[in-house]
Amino acid sequence: MAPKYKLTYFDARGRGEPTRLIFAAAGVEFEDNRLTFEEWPAIKPTTPMGGLPLLEVDGVTLCQSLAIARFAARDVGLAGKSNLEQAQADMFVDEISELLPKMAGLFFEKDEAVKAEKQKEVEELIVKTYTILEKLSGSAGYLVGNRLLWCDLIFFNIASNVENLKPGTVQNYPKLAKSYENVKLNSRIAAYLAKRKETPF
Amino acid sequence: MPSYKLYYFHGRGRAEPARLMLAAAGLPYEDIRLEYEQWPEYKPKMPMGQAPVLEVDGTMICQSVAIARFVAKESGRAGKTNIEQAWADMMADGFVDMLNKMADYVWYEEDEARKAEKKKTFFDTTLPEFLGYFEKLLVANNGGGGFFVGDGLTHAEAFFLCLSDDIIAEKPNVLSPYPKLAALVERIKTYPGIKEWLAKRPQTPF
Repeated sequence: MAPKYKLTYFDARGRGEPTRLIFAAAGVEFEDNRLTFEEWPAIKPTTPMGGLPLLEVDGVTLCQSLAIARFAARDVGLAGKSNLEQAQADMFVDEISELLPKMAGLFFEKDEAVKAEKQKEVEELIVKTYTILEKLSGSAGYLVGNRLLWCDLIFFNIASNVENLKPGTVQNYPKLAKSYENVKLNSRIAAYLAKRKETPF
Repeated sequence: MPSYKLYYFHGRGRAEPARLMLAAAGLPYEDIRLEYEQWPEYKPKMPMGQAPVLEVDGTMICQSVAIARFVAKESGRAGKTNIEQAWADMMADGFVDMLNKMADYVWYEEDEARKAEKKKTFFDTTLPEFLGYFEKLLVANNGGGGFFVGDGLTHAEAFFLCLSDDIIAEKPNVLSPYPKLAALVERIKTYPGIKEWLAKRPQTPF
């Protein structure tokens, strides 16, 4: 029987990885459809808002990476128990996600001088963001409440990219470091990461 | 019933979607509008040093979209199934993308020439592309004579109204090529609770 979910993205982590991590953490099978850049122009006009990722489920095609990730988290029980807990998880995800476009901008910058400038801005934003998150984070080893939720996976995803940029960053923030380690040590995530293909972004 | 306090400035801005959903739900709340001089005193009290913040029985929620979604869920106006909720989120995110692009040239660009250029690109290229998607997505929901999701108003409509207010202020005919979107604006404006709020809300520049 075909998996219930079909995720379409490029052959990269980028904006598709959050949802992949969520399904992995829950041990839920999904079709991991990866498009080449050559295939994309033909597919673009068929998409709801001209972008990727997409999630097809029950005959419906969803877009917007966080709407997709949140949906997946809810479906597999990783969104949070109450409306309030869910809102708190959303809050963390929204703040963490502000790093994404800045880091992507840095990654794809070709001009050396501009890149150095952007690197400085990104490093400052990382400190600002991590300081805010550290202050708000729970003390039970997870960002919100006392168990792993999708916000921990979203943080892990972006924090991994930050570690590539500047190794050892997360260790300066004890509560964030605990959440990061707990995701990394989660047996399903560890297994997923062990076989995950290396991609530049 | 929980007590709600919404902290923001004297403006619609990033608090208005939550205010619209509170109005639609008929939920009483304290609509706290801070003066800029008060902000240094309040900033350290806010979870992420920013506004809007919704305080719910003493718990503070920040991030404007998380707040609007929370309020929507409190009155069952976020979508009935998980898929409907995702659809509402998806639409809201699409509108927020457009609002962020506007904010980029209105608030964050200081160079006048670049400001004008960004605004032109937004209205000539970006916005029409996305209004096209939004019209199509509205029509996909049972012909587009209702709402974006299912058969009721959700936070998708709240964000859409905020976007249309801003783009229509700049370009009054901007929705003429998109008849279903234009008709939806009128439906939102007459929605019980929202209609009364729109009549009494403070008129502010942003």
